[in-house]
Parts: sequence; C-alpha cells; structure tokens
Amino acid sequence: MTGRDLAERRGMETNVYQPAEDSALLAEAVVDHAEGRFLEVGTGSGWVAERAAREANVERVVASDVNPHACESARERGATLREEGHLGIDAVRGNLLDPFREDSFDTVAFNPPYLPTDPDNEWDDWMEQALSGGETGRKFLDPFVDDVGRVLRPGGRVLLLVSSLAGFDDVVARVESAGFDHETVVQESYPFEVLSILRLTK
Amino acid sequence: MKESLMDILCDPLDKSDLELEVTDRDGDEIITGRLVGTVTGEEYPIEDGIPNLLPPDMRDDE
Repeated sequence: MTGRDLAERRGMETNVYQPAEDSALLAEAVVDHAEGRFLEVGTGSGWVAERAAREANVERVVASDVNPHACESARERGATLREEGHLGIDAVRGNLLDPFREDSFDTVAFNPPYLPTDPDNEWDDWMEQALSGGETGRKFLDPFVDDVGRVLRPGGRVLLLVSSLAGFDDVVARVESAGFDHETVVQESYPFEVLSILRLTK
Repeated sequence: MKESLMDILCDPLDKSDLELEVTDRDGDEIITGRLVGTVTGEEYPIEDGIPNLLPPDMRDDE
C-alpha cells in the first residue's frame, strides 16, 4: 500500500492531514490521561488538540506543526473554542520539539508520520510530509523520543501513537534507551496495521 | 500568539532566550511581530498570530 492509497482511503485534503482512526485513538488517550500543560506535536488539523481543550483535564493547550496550513487550522479551532468559553489553542510553527524550553509541559502527545516510504517513491508536498516516516517509518518518531524528556516537567507523561507498520518492538527499544517506562493504554487492530498508544513516564 | 507563550518558547537553534518585538496586537494576542534570538541574533517572524520558529534552513519550503 502506498501513502497515496492511504491518503485516498482516509479521504484527505491535499494540504492538511484530516482526523482518521489514529487521531481518534490518540484523542481517546488524551482525554483519559492528559493533564496540566499540554502540547500536541504534529497537530495537523488541530482536531486532537481541540478534544484536549474541550474534554481533558488540562490548563493550557499548545499545538505545533511544521506545516503552515496546519498551524492556521489549529489557530482557527482555538479562536472558536475561546469564543465558546473553552481553553484556546496556541499554535506554533516549528520542527518537532525544537522551539520549546525544558520543563515546559506536563503532557506531550504525538501522532508521528509513520508510513515506511521508499525514498524513490516519495512525493514532495505537505500531505507526503504528514504521512511518510522515511524508510523505517521512524524518521520523526526516533528524534522525538530522544528529545521529549527535555521538555517534560517532573512527573510528566508522553502519549505516543505507534503503528505496527513502524515496528512496535523497535519503538519500544528506543523508548527504553531514552530512559522511559512505558505502558500501552489503547490498542486497536485495523486491516493494515495495529495502532497502539504508549504512555511514557520517567 | 499569547504573550504568555514566551515562558515556553526558545530559540530552536541553541535553546537560548528569545526577545519579543510586537508590531501589531489585539488585546493579549500578538498578531504581527518577531522573535529574536538573544544569542544567535536569528529573527523568527510572527504572522497572522502564529510564531514561525522553524530554523532558517527549513523555512523556504512553502
């Protein structure tokens, strides 16, 4: 299955990843486990961040993405939320965790681009960036896992979506070498993959 | 962006502090301005309320 097939199956727009099964699983974990200052990395349309602002026990919601269209979508959701009297969403354009200070968040959630992609078969647009996890499927997941402990406050937790396509055992090995304890808090099987949400704590 | 976001943002190049320069604001929301690295001198634009903290080598891909 190519990324294009998956894109079609999920009925995506061309510029911003729209909520799909993986988003729903991450949102479920966020509603149950997020607290305090919350960051969603790679927020896409901002849908999971909105669920956090509406339903989770959080005090602030920050959403980041490398894609400017995604940042606009998250910011618009935030404006609507504030009008309705909810927490808003602070949108930040950036690469992974690069623009955030140490000890900034109690909860960090990430649904990484994870489709393993043949480098000769990549296409160069925002949707490709939202889907492709490079040859291993872990091009973004690995540097995220290596750096996320820096931005977590003491007692914080990470909610990380892991697809079997990206190699569950490889992800767990990376998580352990970064010094995290881990627990699978949500798991669902789909025709092409098993999706899990790992909760990481120190 | 809300001015309070300054508490959690840093220069993506070296994690040092940023200085906020406001051009246009709407209440506590900064609509246009820039963030300047206090060590690197790098300038990061704030446009339409969104700070762009991509490092310079990732900025030109729109």
